[in-house]
Amino acid sequence: MDWQALTLTLRLASITTVVLLAIAVPLATLLVLGRSRWLAFLEAIATLPLVLPPTVLGFFLLVLLGPRTGFGRAITAMLGHPLAFSFSGLVVGSVIYSLPFAVQPLVAGFSAVDQPLIDAARLLGAGSARLVLTLLIPLARRSLVAAAILTFLHTVGEFGVVLMLGGDIPGATRTLSILLYNQVENFDYAAAGRTAAILLALSIAALAAIYAGSRRRGGRHA
Amino acid sequence: MSRSMLLLTAAAFGASALWAQKPLRIAAATDLEPVLPPILLQFHQTTGIEAEATYQASAVLTTQIQNGAPFDLFLSADLSHPKRLIDAGLADAAGSADSSTPITYAKGTLVLWTRNDSAFPHPSLALLHNPALKRLAIANPVQAPYGRAAVAALTSLKLYESLQPRVVTAENIAQAAQFVDSGNADAGLISMTSALTPRLTASGSYFVIPHDLYPPIEQGAVIVSRTAQRAAVHKLLDFLLSPAVQAQLAKSGLTPVK
Repeated sequence: MDWQALTLTLRLASITTVVLLAIAVPLATLLVLGRSRWLAFLEAIATLPLVLPPTVLGFFLLVLLGPRTGFGRAITAMLGHPLAFSFSGLVVGSVIYSLPFAVQPLVAGFSAVDQPLIDAARLLGAGSARLVLTLLIPLARRSLVAAAILTFLHTVGEFGVVLMLGGDIPGATRTLSILLYNQVENFDYAAAGRTAAILLALSIAALAAIYAGSRRRGGRHA
Repeated sequence: MSRSMLLLTAAAFGASALWAQKPLRIAAATDLEPVLPPILLQFHQTTGIEAEATYQASAVLTTQIQNGAPFDLFLSADLSHPKRLIDAGLADAAGSADSSTPITYAKGTLVLWTRNDSAFPHPSLALLHNPALKRLAIANPVQAPYGRAAVAALTSLKLYESLQPRVVTAENIAQAAQFVDSGNADAGLISMTSALTPRLTASGSYFVIPHDLYPPIEQGAVIVSRTAQRAAVHKLLDFLLSPAVQAQLAKSGLTPVK
């Protein structure tokens, strides 16, 4: 078992989840509470990563982040190195790739909060930030947990984007899914089986723990 | 539509499906993607037999054939993958001198490729010694024959250890070329067939890695044993090995074997 690939994958999935929730909560709030008709367009864009084949998405990111675009050059100048073939590049790719998996549950959860409650909070003078923190998030806690879990797992299983953007560098971009693929390609089915078994066992354990905690707190009704 | 009309239409469809020969299905290594389509078109024009190719890394195709993929012919980028299928009893080279050895139909050439607008517009072996070279793209040495050749060449030059931290690995040779063409890697060890495509000819230039630096990339063909169209497959193999097509391979970056 390649523990380096496992820790790298867990680190990538954790960082992606934190970054993505920080982006998705304000975005979902805007989509649910906003009134502009352009929001439908914004919601459509936020769902787009589901449409493209992941390797194609990875290819576009490779080009976009590379030195042949102004954007890529600006980022390279800022960081001192290109984003492609680096861990931070994978974080950027994963955030975009998993965006719908964070936004969709939050939009669904926030939309389910009673409009009169929101109106009352507004009347009492609550600003948007307060509304989100004290009303939407507590009432839609289960959606927030779902968004976090889906983002995390989707990033763990991410393959096409990493394949394109990563360059298979041990310790930096060789994630568990890439390692698994290499093992299968190398006809090393026994090693691939072991890696996959560990991944599945860890995932089942973690998910069961989260769902059990959620049940104990009566989260089913929130 | 009356019932008899329906029956008639159904019968006509059934009959046309029987008469039309099913196209040959070819599993072809990625480095053949720029080379094979015009050859298959000529083959169709000459013999009337249609052939369709699927392009993947040789290892992927091998796994697919092992698991029953409906291919008639496998054109690998090496000899070891088709040999693996022969040993498993799934493929053969019947009709050639030795039916248990894949039929070599071409040899691959490894080149060092850079973009014209990069910091290294004139690739040469000296570039590999240049510490300013930050990212060198190669194909995965475990599964891609050109990746194996790249590692062998770097090892012959005694550069592999020092370059390894700067090497980025692509899944296949086409992706290695994309790493460089998108500007993310400074240079790449790719197939000459990729370097000679119109796209890469326009954007960059290549340096042929001396053949004595790596074992020959012998590309082997095998017939998938369960094919129902053995005669047609043999016609295609003969066509591939004919002087005219071999000369065409040479122009596309493969070394002829005949």
